Amino acid sequence: MPVNLIDNQEILTKRILAIDDEEANMLLLANVLEREGYTDIHCITDPEKALDAYIQLSPDLILLDLMMPKIDGFQLLDAFSKHDKPDEFRPVLVLTADTTLQTRRRALALGAKDFVSKPFDVIEVALRISNLLETGILYERLKQA
Amino acid sequence: MIVAKPARAITGYWTDRPLAFKGLVVVALPLAILFGALISLYLASNAETRAEDDVRRAFAIQRDTYQVHALLAEAAAGARGYVLTGQARFLDPYRKAENELPVTMARLDAEIRDPEVRERFERIRRATVQKRDGLKNIVALASTPLVQGRKADALEAALVSNKIVLDGMRSEIDSIQKRERVLLDQRQAKVDEVRDSFLIVTAISAVVGLLGSLAAVYLFSTGIVRRVRTLEHNAELLARGDALTEIPEDADEIGTLGQRMHRASALLRAREQALRESEERFRLVIEGVQDYGIFALSPDGIVSSWNLGAERIKGWIAEEILGEHFSRFYPDETRHFLPAEMLSRARNGGTAEDEGWRVRKDGTRFWANVVITAMYDDSGLLRGFAKVTRDMTERRRSIEALRLAREDAVAANLAKSVFLSRTSHELRTPMSAILGFGQLLELDEDQLSPRHREALHQIMKAGRHLLSLINDLLDISSIEAGGADLSINTFDVGELLQEVHGLASPIVSAAGLQFVLELPPKATRVSADQRRVTQVILNLVANAAKYNRTGKMVELSCRTEKNLVRVSVADDGEGIDAADVPRLFTPFDRLGQQNRNKVEGTGLGLALSKRLVESMDGQIGFEQPQNGACFWFTIKLADTGTLSTLPSDA
Repeated sequence: MPVNLIDNQEILTKRILAIDDEEANMLLLANVLEREGYTDIHCITDPEKALDAYIQLSPDLILLDLMMPKIDGFQLLDAFSKHDKPDEFRPVLVLTADTTLQTRRRALALGAKDFVSKPFDVIEVALRISNLLETGILYERLKQA
Repeated sequence: MIVAKPARAITGYWTDRPLAFKGLVVVALPLAILFGALISLYLASNAETRAEDDVRRAFAIQRDTYQVHALLAEAAAGARGYVLTGQARFLDPYRKAENELPVTMARLDAEIRDPEVRERFERIRRATVQKRDGLKNIVALASTPLVQGRKADALEAALVSNKIVLDGMRSEIDSIQKRERVLLDQRQAKVDEVRDSFLIVTAISAVVGLLGSLAAVYLFSTGIVRRVRTLEHNAELLARGDALTEIPEDADEIGTLGQRMHRASALLRAREQALRESEERFRLVIEGVQDYGIFALSPDGIVSSWNLGAERIKGWIAEEILGEHFSRFYPDETRHFLPAEMLSRARNGGTAEDEGWRVRKDGTRFWANVVITAMYDDSGLLRGFAKVTRDMTERRRSIEALRLAREDAVAANLAKSVFLSRTSHELRTPMSAILGFGQLLELDEDQLSPRHREALHQIMKAGRHLLSLINDLLDISSIEAGGADLSINTFDVGELLQEVHGLASPIVSAAGLQFVLELPPKATRVSADQRRVTQVILNLVANAAKYNRTGKMVELSCRTEKNLVRVSVADDGEGIDAADVPRLFTPFDRLGQQNRNKVEGTGLGLALSKRLVESMDGQIGFEQPQNGACFWFTIKLADTGTLSTLPSDA
């Protein structure tokens, strides 16, 4: 099993950037991540600061809400993919309360790697997060090999 | 013209002859008559010549007989003179007679034809010979110087006999003269007769010649000219399209021509009749058309015909508008250019179409569709225009209304989608915090007191119920907004049933029931949204599990019916009260189950299932078996041959 090849500690130290304008949701996410043992968590509730944070922090995983005032998640997805270099793997997990098919398709088409509807199952979200981080680590290893 | 049979039999022969024959007859008839007249003239003139000849001969005979008599008388006188005087000069007449008598006699001999005259002539001839002999004897006696006495006696006897001969001859000559006079009279009379008959023959020839010419002219007239005139008259009638004068069925060229003309006339009249009838029908149709204004314009735009439709649409009756220029139909703002432009476009392109405002008689406006078509005759000359006008006011209004309604509907639909999306977000976001934190607390349940644990349990239960209510409501709303996110694929219904059986088994087992699955005997591909079908089956199975509290099992099965697959979820529970059946698919109507503890539900499951099935063109229903309940719904069989290999979207 490839999972066993990865040190759990390596996953938990990966840098995670969470973007959600709802304080309560942000707090919930932070709680879930802390409970799992993640150590490098960055929370942004003002979407206008999201792109700067993305560039400065260069996170390994982004948790992104879609429906936000001023700049919505779709615009941010677009901006992220424009900023990324072609060989960079920086997965975005979209968390949204909008469950319509169009929204899901649009988000995935814009480069989101995974999609979870709110309200979500905390265990499921934790699993998806660690999966994406694992994939990122494997990608890095392949690239260096 | 009806010709009596006998007359027809007589004239028929003539009229039936060919024209060449008639021409020959018409030319030959006067010529033959003229020829006959010439022959009779010739004969008459011959007869006259002969008669005149006879007269001349009679005169010659008379003259010659006189001369014979005169010569002999003079010779006798001379001989007597010689006898008396002895002078030789008295012998001259005698010598003259000796010379001329034979000549004259020969001439008479040649001239005489009449037998009676001939007889007397022969006697004269004999007497002449006697006389000449006598005279010769006298002259011989007188010239001999013989004895006077004897000589005198001989002379006397000779003279006397001579005188007797001469007298006899004179009487013969007189007879001849008399006879010749009679003959002359007869011949003169004959000449007169011949001359008279000649005159009569000439007169008759002239009359017959004239009559012959007249007859020829008559024949020509009856045989040709009059009939040609009839034909000419008929030709004129034919040209006018009137009925032709009846003509007899003659067999010659004119007759044939006449018959042909009759047949042509009959044909033309039949054709004309048909044309008139068709024209009449066409005119009645055009005039009777009520929905279209159909009228004709002269090349310069003057209205020249008008129908009921035009009257109905525009308000003018025919008498008021005929002769007016069609620019009257145009409103002020287009009247100065559009009519001329329309005619010019129709002239150049054959037709011109336009849609725009036109004016009625009462000044009101209507929205018209107008087609103007140029009409050319066979020689390519512009004869005018046909104009078809339709009143599109109502249609324009309804199209406009329809367009607005469509815009409204699109806007409303968009608004509804946005509303649903937003509502979904707004309702789920707080639920997310509630259920998320609740779940976090549940994960550390052992740190809570029993009281808090029970409170947390109630919060989570109510929260999940609220979430499923929200989910179902949003689903129903989105389906009703026409925006059900269907992704139709083809898939095997047996595989799907197995999958759902696996998914729903825990629920059924939790209710203490047996979950029976009956798979179709062979692979059965259907065309539907797999996720939605799964949702419907799960709903039905969950209902069966929830409400079957007396039975032992829930059965999931399917069967093929024509082009449909019918999926059934049955249970052997207490069933449903017949009075409640009509309300089964009503939203929030839980048939009183909400009062019974332990049975959770939103009251939206069946309503949502019904809408989902119907959005895939299926049907959903309920039937009451002997015990228990059975819900079923249909999905469409996939078209064989168009099997989709695309993976299902869900």
